[in-house]
Amino acid sequence: MNRELAALLADVSQPQRRASGVALWCAAAAAMAGISLLGLAGWFITAAALAGAAGIAAIQAFNYLIPSAAIRLLAIVRTVTRYGERLYGHKAALFALAALRTRLFGCLINAPSPEYTRSAGEAGALLLQDVDALEDRFVRAPAYFAGMVGAATALGLAMPAGPRAFLALFVIMAAGVLAARSFARRVLPRRALDIQEQIARLKQDFVEYTAASPEIAAYGFGPSIEALLARQAARLDDARVGFARNEALLGAGVTALGGLAIATMIALSRASLPLTLLAALAAAGALEALGATIRSLGRDAVVAAGLERLAQLAAIPGPTAAPVPLIGESIALGDDPRSVMLAKGDRLAITGRSGAGKTSLLECLAGWRTTCGHSLLIDQRPLAECPPEARRRLFALSPQDGGMIAGTIADNLRLARPGLEDEALWHALGIACLADDVRVMPERLLTWIGDGGARLSGGQRKRLSLARALLAGLPWLLLDEPSEGLDPATEAVLCANLDSWLRETGTGLVLVTHRSAMLPLAHRLLELPD
Amino acid sequence: MLGEQVADAIDRIEDIDGYHARFLPLRFAAVATPLLIAASAALASWIAAAILLATLIPFALGMALAGTVASRAAARQLDVLARLSGLFIDRIRALPVILGFGAQDRVTRQLAEATQEVARRTVVVLRIAFLSGAIIEFFAALSVAMVAVYCGFNLLGLLPFPVPETLDLSRALFVLILAPEFYLPMRRLAAAYHDKQVGEAALERLAALTPAPVVATSPVHMLAAPPAIRFESVVIDYGERRVGPISMHIAAGCVTALSGTTGTGKSSLLHALLGLAPVVAGDILLDGRPLSPEALRGEVSWAGQATALVPGSLADNIRLARPHASDAEVEDVARRAGLTEVVQTRGAGLATLIDPRGSGLSGGERRRVGIARALLRDAPLWLLDEPTADLDEGSAMELARHIVEAGRGRTVLLVTHSAAIAALADHRVVLS
Repeated sequence: MNRELAALLADVSQPQRRASGVALWCAAAAAMAGISLLGLAGWFITAAALAGAAGIAAIQAFNYLIPSAAIRLLAIVRTVTRYGERLYGHKAALFALAALRTRLFGCLINAPSPEYTRSAGEAGALLLQDVDALEDRFVRAPAYFAGMVGAATALGLAMPAGPRAFLALFVIMAAGVLAARSFARRVLPRRALDIQEQIARLKQDFVEYTAASPEIAAYGFGPSIEALLARQAARLDDARVGFARNEALLGAGVTALGGLAIATMIALSRASLPLTLLAALAAAGALEALGATIRSLGRDAVVAAGLERLAQLAAIPGPTAAPVPLIGESIALGDDPRSVMLAKGDRLAITGRSGAGKTSLLECLAGWRTTCGHSLLIDQRPLAECPPEARRRLFALSPQDGGMIAGTIADNLRLARPGLEDEALWHALGIACLADDVRVMPERLLTWIGDGGARLSGGQRKRLSLARALLAGLPWLLLDEPSEGLDPATEAVLCANLDSWLRETGTGLVLVTHRSAMLPLAHRLLELPD
Repeated sequence: MLGEQVADAIDRIEDIDGYHARFLPLRFAAVATPLLIAASAALASWIAAAILLATLIPFALGMALAGTVASRAAARQLDVLARLSGLFIDRIRALPVILGFGAQDRVTRQLAEATQEVARRTVVVLRIAFLSGAIIEFFAALSVAMVAVYCGFNLLGLLPFPVPETLDLSRALFVLILAPEFYLPMRRLAAAYHDKQVGEAALERLAALTPAPVVATSPVHMLAAPPAIRFESVVIDYGERRVGPISMHIAAGCVTALSGTTGTGKSSLLHALLGLAPVVAGDILLDGRPLSPEALRGEVSWAGQATALVPGSLADNIRLARPHASDAEVEDVARRAGLTEVVQTRGAGLATLIDPRGSGLSGGERRRVGIARALLRDAPLWLLDEPTADLDEGSAMELARHIVEAGRGRTVLLVTHSAAIAALADHRVVLS
């Protein structure tokens, strides 16, 4: 874990201090109650046995009411505090992680280049998994404190057994915990990382061979590839078994320590039999509580191995100084000698073979990517001097694939600009020839359009995206194949609507299309070479 | 698509790790251990054992009650959580759009609200869900307390009812020390609920996957001579993308170049011939007879967009296409595929070891390995999917000439974007 992630975690945990505190004290109380319950029960039984053996007078003198009531009280206290520990521990974890997710999303936004954002977007699902894994870590946090409090309780109860027994218990617990920790630190993280690495390799192999599946099928060498994958999977299994073996060793050590503690207490105690048993059983209880924290060292190692990606993300620096704004008075694009100079309000159509880089040119202008293969000048400044953030305030892009978010029609349109009224949305939908479609949808503007707009047709997505670009109200409109998937009649209406909208608003246009019907919209033409 | 497959093949398997390694053994222990403990306790005091067992009855009732409520609530909650992760993934995917419109602050705020809301609702659900845990805790503590009180009063001889056993200290202590172990495995099982949830979800997902078709190893070689292929209104439907209908004829023994803009289904058609694309309508005819989906596997020469490399030497990798080819044959095709230079620059020649994890070969060199395989296999039917992509224009042209030359007399279906390469073919088909 790097410093940034640690700081981020501390930051999101801060508001949850109260819930964490309650969880902590509940856990401590539960450990105390559990250990006292066992110790007191041992004392009670032994004292009762001695009194029983000593005859009727001793029995009558034996006060059984207080201990038996205390035993029941401790049983209830342990139950309630355990419930409290779990509930408040989870509460703190859930709210802290909710904040963490949002903060990490913020880190993604600040990513230095749009390309980074893009590749990070693919890792989005992974990111969520990593954050989920952290929940475990948060929830287990009180167990450490509880283990310590339990140890202290047991030491307190061991005092009557004499200084030697007390010291012996202290040494057993301290040495046990330290030894387990050093063993775990030395052995587990390496193996947890090994597991992660083997998984990554298996994935890489899988991706590689899946991509080449036609070739594998064509020559029929599937079985040898399967054998290769099986070998890598076996390596992963080996790594897992190696980890599990050490984890189990740790658990076995803790259990053995419990037995050792009981035996030592009985052997060294100088107190009466009941107090000896009180001390012995309390010691056993304390080692059980410490054991839980030691066993979780394995889980910690696994979680830590998964934090690497989050650490990378957290290390993305925040936004630097605000970029120098661009005016967008002039744009020069295309390579010499076929370059085009556009002034405010000009309209250009770009054509060219597929693969010539038309889409990346638009995405580059719009600040969705840092650079593209073509030379660009904005306000006579080369692209390198026009940061993507500044470009985003000049150009509104309607991308080729629509670029919808999962949400309603209105959600998607309102991405364009804050404070848009329904009326404005309908107006834009009208220009984009989509208003009629939306009007017959079950919930009109509030119709859910599915993941990536999957419930709309390709043409509808295109027009919705166009309406959104219109709503952004920026000086330049960038359209990538806007009439794709439209019938000629609608295409003609769209063309006319756009023409008058551009004229009224004085907005400039850069249009990428391979349909001749849209070409009249532009005044100039640039054909990109291959 | 690929991401999903990888997740199913690897992550979902990882998910069932905890289910098998922790949850299942604990579930067995949760049933077996209490019975064992009760049996052992019965040796010292059968009444104490009976007390332990008796607490199981209200415990089971409580668990059944809390369990049903909790599992219903938890199932609802899982849906909510799944939707939230969906929302995050969606917004991360749509980041370019969000940034493009400068909507990041609004979207972040919206996400913050949504996550806080989900956290709030989850806590409400947990209040109920943890009740079952509390019930286990309560009975675990109660069983210890009851055994302790019973033993103490038995030892004192103060029990308000007659019992047929008199305990001594060692027997009383024996049952007392056993008592906490009675509920311990159930407490551990309750703590493994996350392993159970994740594992069951993964198992459900894995069970829903369509089983891999059993590949029939057909000893009969389908292709004795270069075939003619006819596509009749073939439609390929991947769910999110649909290709076709496409009709075309590929003449036997000729080189046919197939071109068309991106997305018109050129690669999909080649995949369909190998039974790797979901053909939902139309027919593919091989020499006039319908082609069964896997009939051509192992029967063709192929060079495509990705080349599968295995650990081993360069020669081993080429030889995958025809395992019994001689060294001289392998050397010959390597030369014709333009691998000579690669061979010369890496000291060991064709014996150069290849690390399939990327390092060693460039994209163009990988293509050449694929072409060498196609040449070595020399099947009656060649399917070549942009075999010369990743190469500069000059070498692409040269290699294409070699391919066309070597493919004379075979049925060659060559997908290419380059007009110059298409011009080398006997026939040209343009998809639109």
